[in-house]
Amino acid sequence: MRTLTPARLLLRCGILAAILFAVVVLALKLGAVQVSLYGLGRDLISVLLGRTSSLSSDYGMIVLDIRLPRILLGIVVGASLSVAGASFQALLRNRLADPYVLGISSGAALGAILALIIENHLRLSPEMAGLITPVGAFIGAALTIAVVYLLGRREGEIDSTTLLLAGIITASFLSAVIMFLMTTLSGNNLRGMAFWLMGDLSTPQPRSLLYFISFGFIVAAGAIYTTASDLNLILAGEKEAMHLGVDVSRVRIVVYIAASILTGLAVSVSGAIGYVGLLVPHVMRLIYGPDHRMLLPASALGGAIALVIADTLARTITAPTDLPVGAMTAMAGAPLFIYLLRRRIA
Amino acid sequence: MSTALRHPLPNGATADNPRGASEFRLSVEQVSYAHNANPSQAPLFTLEALSFQAKPGEVIAILGPNASGKSTLLNLITGTLEPLSGRIFLNGFETRTLPVRTRAQRIALVQQESRLLFPTRAWEFVMQGRHAYGTGLRFETDEDIAIAKNALAQVGASHLAERRMDKISGGEKQRIILARALAQQPLLLLLDEPTLHLDIGAQVDLLETLRKLAAENRYTVVVVTHELNLAGEYADQVVLLQKGKCLRVGPPATVFQRELLEQVFQAPLSVEMTVSGRPRVTLFSNK
Amino acid sequence: MQRAFLQLHRALLLLAASAALLVSLPLCAQTTAPAPTQTTFHEVTDEFGRTIRLPLVPARIVSLAPSLTETLYALGVQDRLVGVTDFCDYPADAQKKTKVGGMLNPNLEQIAALHPDLVLATKEINRLDTVRALDTLGIPTYAADANTHTVEEILSSTRRLADLLGVSGAGNALSAELQGRLAALHNKLENVPATRVLFVVWTEPLISVGQNTFVADALRKSDATSIVESKQDWPQISLEEVVKLQPDYLVFAASHSESGTRDFESLSNLPGWRLLDAVRNHHFAVISDAVNRPAPRIVSAIEDLAHQLHPAAFVEPGAPEKQLPKTPDLSKGSIAQSAASTQIVSQECPCAR
Repeated sequence: MRTLTPARLLLRCGILAAILFAVVVLALKLGAVQVSLYGLGRDLISVLLGRTSSLSSDYGMIVLDIRLPRILLGIVVGASLSVAGASFQALLRNRLADPYVLGISSGAALGAILALIIENHLRLSPEMAGLITPVGAFIGAALTIAVVYLLGRREGEIDSTTLLLAGIITASFLSAVIMFLMTTLSGNNLRGMAFWLMGDLSTPQPRSLLYFISFGFIVAAGAIYTTASDLNLILAGEKEAMHLGVDVSRVRIVVYIAASILTGLAVSVSGAIGYVGLLVPHVMRLIYGPDHRMLLPASALGGAIALVIADTLARTITAPTDLPVGAMTAMAGAPLFIYLLRRRIA
Repeated sequence: MSTALRHPLPNGATADNPRGASEFRLSVEQVSYAHNANPSQAPLFTLEALSFQAKPGEVIAILGPNASGKSTLLNLITGTLEPLSGRIFLNGFETRTLPVRTRAQRIALVQQESRLLFPTRAWEFVMQGRHAYGTGLRFETDEDIAIAKNALAQVGASHLAERRMDKISGGEKQRIILARALAQQPLLLLLDEPTLHLDIGAQVDLLETLRKLAAENRYTVVVVTHELNLAGEYADQVVLLQKGKCLRVGPPATVFQRELLEQVFQAPLSVEMTVSGRPRVTLFSNK
Repeated sequence: MQRAFLQLHRALLLLAASAALLVSLPLCAQTTAPAPTQTTFHEVTDEFGRTIRLPLVPARIVSLAPSLTETLYALGVQDRLVGVTDFCDYPADAQKKTKVGGMLNPNLEQIAALHPDLVLATKEINRLDTVRALDTLGIPTYAADANTHTVEEILSSTRRLADLLGVSGAGNALSAELQGRLAALHNKLENVPATRVLFVVWTEPLISVGQNTFVADALRKSDATSIVESKQDWPQISLEEVVKLQPDYLVFAASHSESGTRDFESLSNLPGWRLLDAVRNHHFAVISDAVNRPAPRIVSAIEDLAHQLHPAAFVEPGAPEKQLPKTPDLSKGSIAQSAASTQIVSQECPCAR
């Protein structure tokens, strides 16, 4: 009987973290412009040692101001989407659940479009203007979460099937509204929205936003992790879980809200990047088993690795043109999904 | 809650019932249940007021044909349903008032099927029974591992520990589910039609095991069944239900009266007493 | 068990703290662009109201829109142009410059690697996100063409751009020349009634231009009115409405005249289009796609269209058909073709004016 001990958990997470580190270093090196990481590392060390106060090098700006924020964004978004995906799969007891199945991405898209429309009529300072799309998207996501929750209740409690139906219906309705709005939008806003809908990490976000979503990730993912053992039991059956001592309704609410927040934060800054939230949990389950105490951190790290790799490919394959990262995840994700289906795993 | 006084002392005292005053562990008092209890309409009773008591170490059979209210009674005892009237006590504590975690430490339910979305190994499954003894995120202690091993041994399934749940037979699965219930170290063990999918040998095995467990660990075992002879052979008390009404409570010898059983089960039969004092029922064909 | 939990907590905290430390170090380090050589800077407000700081005479320019690239060439500052988009195809020389990606998603790294001291963008084609991103990197970006709804505004924007780049003289000269040509055109067409046209942007679905666009204004300058009355920029219209309005001519913009003719041929084979007089009579005009770009070349496209729609206005009484003015801006090969199509048009249509 090899149980999951904290030591084993940390060891496995450590391995994944090491892989992530290696991937990040590689991602820093690759790009449309050639960069010598050795030179950069040397400069970094001299900064650390206090010899120089700034990195005045060509590649410094490229690596640190362009690539590193984008990689960090990819890490947080990838981790958020994967943890949300794993959580929804447990909450809805459905293998095909992904973070967007409850309509959150459609709500965020609608919020972003409305924000773009409003922006034309407002005079905003540059900082505010940069924030209006993510804020609008997050508000849209939050409202969708509330609406789906209210619709998805049965006798006052969240019911998995009803929730799933409510989410799907809300998503289609919102998509129809989005289609309508997009035909009436003017040209240049429309083009920006197309990128957003595909999922795109190339738009640099304000620093404050990056800190905010990182903080949000830590809080929300942490909240879900405290229910990890409960989730294991809920998957065995909700009635049984209750008989085994799980406060099912409390766990459902916590997981629903936290996973929805994770999705909302991710979608607000990067659009609807697909397949990550669906497939990373399945792959991690293949490797580490369905125990959520291991699965949740593994999904977070695995999602970060997957998205950084996808994003690096997206910006190097057809350099200098950036492919939207959602296209990369779809191209890699769809065949992988078919493979998993055929192995009767997904 | 410390595990020191998990098992009651000879005088019936336990950590949660220090006085050991009541000799009855389970006390069901005038409990009834109705669907859609609408004050303006007369309630539709699924279960009319019934009472019975059970001591530690006893095996109680809740007997009756389909739709007689057996499952409802079971759900009332586990606290899934709230009774319309009456109360249920476990060692003097009303079960309804217990928080979910505490209830799981005292009442364990064995159901027939367990649909797992992502199949786990047998020992992981049994380990789920220890969940109630920790907080939301917990890691298994050595004690948990020992208790799980012990539970598997008690049901004779130690050799199945590393097998996956979707790769074992129905009877073996039933034993693992029972082991999980034992891992909860409950005071009350409830089983809902446990013999439904088992062949005869397995049925007898199970009931023997239950009787042994009840005797050795002082569990109170409540089995819902419609198998007349199993109830007659292994139960210390029988609660006979028909269409929501409790017709009789008592040891099998007193409950198994031919006319009563024929009326309840709507089939011609005969009852005879065996040497051990247990009744045996023989069914005839309708012709 | 409690001890294990505490250990886990402590380990996780330590891990998180060291990770945060490691990652935030690069973020804290300052990065500076290479020290600039001795140039004077001045502050300029762009057409968005943004204030940017750039050298008096920007020496390394990146253009993020084909119209801007064309304008830079027309102003004669192409030597200072170091980066263009994938779509900057005119003039041919522009295609030899370093590419920085698309107009919606230019590669920031590539732009940064070119060390520009000025990046030019337009509101029509580029995203505000790109402009903001360049701001964050400390690269001065000027967003032009905030409101080009008329050809006049294109010209004034060209002048502003010339001022920005320190070639005001060239800018004024270019603007004057173009306005002269427009005035001459206006004189020729003064007494000629306007032709009603449908400007076809896309055939399936059928998309035309709105009244507020500079394309519509260009049409007006060639003495043609777009039959589509819409405030939207790219309205989608139904064939029914077009049939009801019965334009005199269909106008296509194409990079090569043959593809324009092909467009018309395929269009006339579609059901319902034969109901249009213009289709049955082969009343169509093909002009260069310069009409779609807010750049100096649009004047040539206007002149071309005017010649195609109103050839009679340009024929000197008694003289043979006047040769088209030498306009080097038309894409290669199409001078002959547009003259040919003009001839075809004049042969086939009665052009009763």
